[in-house]
Amino acid sequence: MYYIAQILIVILLFSIQTTWLGMFSIGGVIPDLALIWVVFCAVHYSRTVGIGSGIVIGILQDSLSGGLLGVNTLSKSFIGFFFSALKDKFFVEGILPIAFFLAISSLFDGLVFYLSINTVLEGGITTSFLYQSLPIYSFYNALVGPVIFLVLNRTNNWLNSKIQDPYMSRTN
Amino acid sequence: MSLSNKQEKEISFLDSFASLILHPFQNLFTQSIKSVSDGVNHYLDLVNISKENDRLKSEVERLINEKNELIERISGQKRVAALMVYQKDRKKDSLVASVIGRDATQWSKVVFINKGTRDGVKNQLAVVTKLGVIGQIIHSGFTTSKVLLTIDSRSAIDAVFQQSRVSGVVVGTGDQQCQVKFVPNTAKVQVGDRVLSSGLGGVFPKGLVIGTVSQVVRKKQGLFQEITLTPSSDFSNLEEVLVFLS
Repeated sequence: MYYIAQILIVILLFSIQTTWLGMFSIGGVIPDLALIWVVFCAVHYSRTVGIGSGIVIGILQDSLSGGLLGVNTLSKSFIGFFFSALKDKFFVEGILPIAFFLAISSLFDGLVFYLSINTVLEGGITTSFLYQSLPIYSFYNALVGPVIFLVLNRTNNWLNSKIQDPYMSRTN
Repeated sequence: MSLSNKQEKEISFLDSFASLILHPFQNLFTQSIKSVSDGVNHYLDLVNISKENDRLKSEVERLINEKNELIERISGQKRVAALMVYQKDRKKDSLVASVIGRDATQWSKVVFINKGTRDGVKNQLAVVTKLGVIGQIIHSGFTTSKVLLTIDSRSAIDAVFQQSRVSGVVVGTGDQQCQVKFVPNTAKVQVGDRVLSSGLGGVFPKGLVIGTVSQVVRKKQGLFQEITLTPSSDFSNLEEVLVFLS
């Protein structure tokens, strides 16, 4: 039941991402809900769950986009691994650490995309991507992320009160 | 007789006296009962009015929603009608489709349409609006298809300038603009020139509008000009598109 609820959350996030989130674009850039979800899982659950969610979300994103297959899987699984390891070293509570984590992960995600398209595919992404779109992307995720973290936290707390959380029971 | 008369006089006096004393109280009680009764009645009326108000409010909300739905339906019909006119003008076998989603990442410029192989859609078909080229089908599922937009960095369309008839290749930048590559430095290209599909490549029919030139940079060194193109279609507001089936 808990897994079904988590799957429903992911479906909801992807539905929002691919439909009406475009209305809130700044310079053609929108927040990446999938990335925020991966960072959320990495920060809140065990390392296995962090990496696992990165791989699953990355594969889903790759299959729901026209991009090079594997780019998102690579970047999201790295993000999942990196932040689930990093959370043991830092105290991740409050808006600022979360915003910082999200800004860094957004920069990494964008860089992986830029490098893979421009090297593997020899695509023509202009360098303006690095100093225009990427900072906006990073800032936007850092701005929206803490709010989504709060909503996801509340949702998870509510779910925990109704259903036993297998992730928590495993990590504790 | 006299006793009876005396008793009557005493009763009458007592009656009057009692009435005199009681009258203000009776009035007060009657008034208070009346005002309480009026208050209760008013309250009940107010409850009814409040209920009626709630009902009317929800009715107004329903009507506003209905009106918005109708406006939306009419504007949708208008857009589809405009596409149908365009479809008739092109005299090509085509299909009107709705955009149902965008790319799950924001770096790829891809949209999903609600037509797939079931409707005759297959890979490498041109997708347009009445304003011009949108992109091409890169994956057709059973009920939905993926359209690679011309602004995607992996998109390349063989093109020709309407005025000078010089040819070039329109490639996406991943931004809201495109570039025209391989246009010789000697070719006469100006800002505002319209760029059309050349028909080479087999995906886009000849003569479809791709966009207009917004910037031209001629470098002293180098063989080709750096031309920036503003696409004719608004990619941020795609709703209905036309898929050329042949």
